[in-house]
Amino acid sequence: MTPFQLRIVTPDGLIYDGPAEELLVRTSGGDAAILARHIDYVAPLGMGQAVVVSGGRRRTAACMGGMLSVQGGAVTLIPTTFEWAEDIDAERAERSRQRADRILQDKDASQTDLQLAQARLHRALVRKSVASQK
Amino acid sequence: MSGVSTKEIKNRIRSMESTKQITKAMEMVAASKLRRAQIQALNARPYFEILYDTIQDIVRSDRSFSSPYLKERAGNRTVFLVIAGDRGLAGGYNSNILKLVQSQVREPDTAILPIGKKAVDFFRSKGFPILTDQYAEAAAMGVGDCFSVAKQLCQSFRGGEYDRICLAYTRFVSVLSQEPAAMQLLPLVKPEDRPERRNARCDTVYEGDAEEVFAAIVPEYLGGILYGALCESRASEQAARRAAMDSATQNADEMIADLSLKFNRARQAAITQEITEIVAGS
Repeated sequence: MTPFQLRIVTPDGLIYDGPAEELLVRTSGGDAAILARHIDYVAPLGMGQAVVVSGGRRRTAACMGGMLSVQGGAVTLIPTTFEWAEDIDAERAERSRQRADRILQDKDASQTDLQLAQARLHRALVRKSVASQK
Repeated sequence: MSGVSTKEIKNRIRSMESTKQITKAMEMVAASKLRRAQIQALNARPYFEILYDTIQDIVRSDRSFSSPYLKERAGNRTVFLVIAGDRGLAGGYNSNILKLVQSQVREPDTAILPIGKKAVDFFRSKGFPILTDQYAEAAAMGVGDCFSVAKQLCQSFRGGEYDRICLAYTRFVSVLSQEPAAMQLLPLVKPEDRPERRNARCDTVYEGDAEEVFAAIVPEYLGGILYGALCESRASEQAARRAAMDSATQNADEMIADLSLKFNRARQAAITQEITEIVAGS
């Protein structure tokens, strides 16, 4: 397959910069697969699994928040967090899930706490599901 | 030579020595903190740059819709985000950035969102309206804080509370050079330096409604830029402090050398005088 230029960059650094054949990410409107020669495209990202195929090798990652942009054939993925499946700390995700669960069960929790806990739960679940597939 | 007593000089040398020890220690602390901050700033830099470029590209190629984030407004209510340090003794770091902001702010109804204790103190004493002093500690601010600030600002910008949002931070050029810089975050300005691709047939496809996409992306963009600027500023602060403390230590060294010379001369003069007296008296 024809490769295209892919850059993945997060606040923690440049994670990927090179050719790739396919990129699959969860956008706000659902999963989207990007192949070479895609039309100019902009989408905010949701939380979910991302897949990068390069040189026939398939790598999965947990990808959360941020945006995806295709401009003139070059693809730029700018998530808030992006973790390769092998780098995910599954135990930490499990602990985070339990903590979030406790807050969600708590009847006295404030609205903002509940929102934060919900986001945390979502992140933890995404991380766990990505980590379990490695 | 007997104008200054040897005891006085000795005291001054001693106090200079202890000052030198302090500045030396501060320099070493700043150097080790600088190393960490520098790595962080260098890691965040591609994010900062790519994010900025991507948004500029999107803004440039956009002709089809007018998001509230793109429209210049007539009003003058500005929010100025100012990133300064928590502590002084960092050479010109704090005063440079504060001076820059002061020169840029003309309207009296400019609200300031200070980050860092020095910025909070400065703008409070100048009587500017301060949005919140929740972020008085720049060193403790994380990515999450940046995104929540960005979200709030975007909300009040969309709500029409403010017409412009600007950011002032210190760019980390190198260990020896840091530059204060100010930029306008919102509304997003169309860059004019590069020619527009007028004949481009294909318009950008947006996931869902273009306006919605912008509403989702802009807070992320703001948060990311803020985080990048924060990393740059923190690295700049440590670099400025290290340089300032290094020169303070050198100055102390020079003064000690100078005073030692004076001390030796005074002592020599005293001995000479004593000998003269003994010889004359015999």
